Amino acid sequence: MTAVASRVRTTPATRSGTTSGTGTLLRFMLRRERFRLPWWLLGAGLLLAFQSTGSQRLYGTPEDLAKLRETMGGNVTVVALSGPKELLETIGGEVVFEIFSYLAIVVGLMSMFMVARHTRSDEETGRAEVIRSARVGRHAPLAAALCLAGLANLAAALVVFATAAGTGLPVGGSALLGLATAGVGLTFAALTAVAAQVFENTRAVYGAVALALGVAYVLRAVGDVGNGALSWLSPIGWGQRTFPYSDDRWWPLLLPLAATALLGATALALLDRRDFGAGLLPSRPGRATASRALSSPLGLAWRLQRGSFAGWAIGLFLLAASYGSFGNSVEQYVADNPEIADYLPGGGDDVVNSYLGLTIMLTALTAAAFGISSALRARGEETSGRAEPVLATATSRWAWLGSHLTVALLGGAVVLLAIGFGEGLTYGLSVSDAGQIPRLMGVALVYLPAVWLVVGVAVLAFGWLPRAATAVAWAVFGYCAVVALFAESFDLPDWVGRASPFTHIPEAPFESVTATPLLIVGALAVALLAAGFIGFRRRDVGT
Amino acid sequence: MTSTISVAGLVKTFGPTRALDGLDLEVKPGEVHGFLGPNGSGKTTTIRVLLGLLRADAGTVHMLAGDPWSDAVALHRRLAYVPGDVTLWPGITGGEVIDLMGRLRGGLDRRRRDELLERFDLDPRKKARAYSKGNRQKVALVAGLASDAELLLLDEPTSGLDPLMEAVFQQCIHEVKREGRTVLLSSHILAEVEALCDRVSIIRLGRTVESGTLGELRHLTRTSISVETAQPVTGIDALPGVHDVVMDHTTARFDVDTQHLDEVVRRLSALGVRSLTSSPPTLEEMFLRHYGDEETSGKKDVA
Repeated sequence: MTAVASRVRTTPATRSGTTSGTGTLLRFMLRRERFRLPWWLLGAGLLLAFQSTGSQRLYGTPEDLAKLRETMGGNVTVVALSGPKELLETIGGEVVFEIFSYLAIVVGLMSMFMVARHTRSDEETGRAEVIRSARVGRHAPLAAALCLAGLANLAAALVVFATAAGTGLPVGGSALLGLATAGVGLTFAALTAVAAQVFENTRAVYGAVALALGVAYVLRAVGDVGNGALSWLSPIGWGQRTFPYSDDRWWPLLLPLAATALLGATALALLDRRDFGAGLLPSRPGRATASRALSSPLGLAWRLQRGSFAGWAIGLFLLAASYGSFGNSVEQYVADNPEIADYLPGGGDDVVNSYLGLTIMLTALTAAAFGISSALRARGEETSGRAEPVLATATSRWAWLGSHLTVALLGGAVVLLAIGFGEGLTYGLSVSDAGQIPRLMGVALVYLPAVWLVVGVAVLAFGWLPRAATAVAWAVFGYCAVVALFAESFDLPDWVGRASPFTHIPEAPFESVTATPLLIVGALAVALLAAGFIGFRRRDVGT
Repeated sequence: MTSTISVAGLVKTFGPTRALDGLDLEVKPGEVHGFLGPNGSGKTTTIRVLLGLLRADAGTVHMLAGDPWSDAVALHRRLAYVPGDVTLWPGITGGEVIDLMGRLRGGLDRRRRDELLERFDLDPRKKARAYSKGNRQKVALVAGLASDAELLLLDEPTSGLDPLMEAVFQQCIHEVKREGRTVLLSSHILAEVEALCDRVSIIRLGRTVESGTLGELRHLTRTSISVETAQPVTGIDALPGVHDVVMDHTTARFDVDTQHLDEVVRRLSALGVRSLTSSPPTLEEMFLRHYGDEETSGKKDVA
């Protein structure tokens, strides 16, 4: 009797073989994602909600839209940054034009992190080994991760649909927009699944998929500016070319579906051709001895942070460059859409300078995020146990923390210079004035005291409240970001704005730079850094 | 002669937990000192205090004639540390880590480094994320042993090593000892302790319960006796130091505190011994008694 019962129970498992356990794993993965996924969905929803309400307020009338088609549709840079100008037929299409690339990047990254975390990362850390030793088929973790990404993208489609329709856009187009967004996410989920078979470590998977996301963006940028052919090679292009609200074409949705099926099948096939824990590409051996550069705490800090530093510097350079390229047409654009002037700090009088000032301020704020993540590297080293052997050598706590902060503080300065250089380069090219480069580099560098002050808060927390340091630092950054983005449009009380250091930095170039606020913010930054060092000198390490 | 490490009444608390509760430790120059205790007894916490990573709440701590907290950097030039749970930077190779650690300590002997890599059979070109647990441990060991530091602090340095590498490690420590350097070795591997250590300290619940040479510690423990005599066995259980007696007419089995062995043997020989087996305390038993037996260690603490 018992023998029969147990046979009955084990039969399905043995028969379904390589995918058994998928359902259980999927439920477990959903549980692991329950705090992360809502943030991604919220991010996508907020992006779309702001764009949709903003666009409808600014270009609500057919005349506004017609003007917009002329100015924006004719501007190569805007088309390259946003999407095909055919979208500008309707107000809904205008929303898609402006926001779809960003939505695509959000769901693309969400899918990338999700799939890599549950496949390659689990394998790399050894978590997957425990799971695979149970009654779980070889294909089950990958299959479950892809199902998870499918559910997450379906949820993203629902959020996009509900937000678009909820902000007054037509229901049919909104459904199409939701599915087109999910299509991009699914394609990158399946691409991540392939990359997770090819590369042996998670960082390489992230690098490859992020690169593919960048290539997809560039392909559609070039295609949208030209005859559109290259856009058909990009998953982002597929989504945009459903033309929600203007043409409502459903058939391009077949492209991401086919790509997902193809890539997913490829990933499963590749999985059979590699060993557990290994990638199809073996990792290359490195140096047998350390170079001269790796001889000091600073050398180590630089080695650990140089990759992410380069990523931030290049990323923000490109962002600033794209802002700068738009600088010359901004005057015409504001003349056509006078409502925009309300959002510029200088109003309509000195449009170009106030545009440059605003965009540099927003990018400089992002540079503060680099400073925080760089300073928090020290905390990461401490909690992972890697700080201990270093501090057990003749490296003082000052030298150890100081070297990570050197990268954070000087790196922050270099990132600001890269921002100024990027904005100055493209704006200078468009107005044929090389002098814009040093000018805007100077403008960006004005924000250095504010960036250092934010880093100072992170260091203060690291010294005195190490466990809360990460949360405190990012909360302060989030506060500064909210103040910078919304203080004026939401009429927040005065003191709210004044608590952010960025409010006190003169908004060059349309405001004249005075030394006093810079010196005060700078002195505060130095005081916070010093207090943080003192706290770290006095406390236990590794707690 | 001043001790290399001298700890007295050391207390360290983490919130409500008292991790170290009046710990004492003496390590003399040139000795290999075994540091033993169950998991969570405070070995690693003690070593972290010695490294100046944690600040002592009470008690005195001296190491190499300095204060581990305030003279940390100066002392660290003269010591090498091998952690038991080695985490490395995923993108940096083992060879780079070894060089970096040596340079941060103030220079390393390249010839010795290469020789150790050879002996431990470690590939220095692999990125750290590709190393197994045992190989990560080897990276830390080579980094520590390649230095000519006068004091080695080793916190379960051989966890995850195979028996072959364990033998290499023991050779290395013998060499270190011959050079007159001092070693504090925290370990769970009793064969390793027996082979290497001149003296040991056993700690439990943050306190030192026993300290001395292995011979001295053996002396404090019990020998098991199984005996058959001509006349019926009587009065054995009344002798001092005799425990757990099982008597059956002319046979008896019991444990006796090693310091009372002589009296018991005299008494037995008066009864006419027909056969006698005596098993000396194994290290295992000795440690199990100190690690596990609540009552015994409680009494020892009072005494």
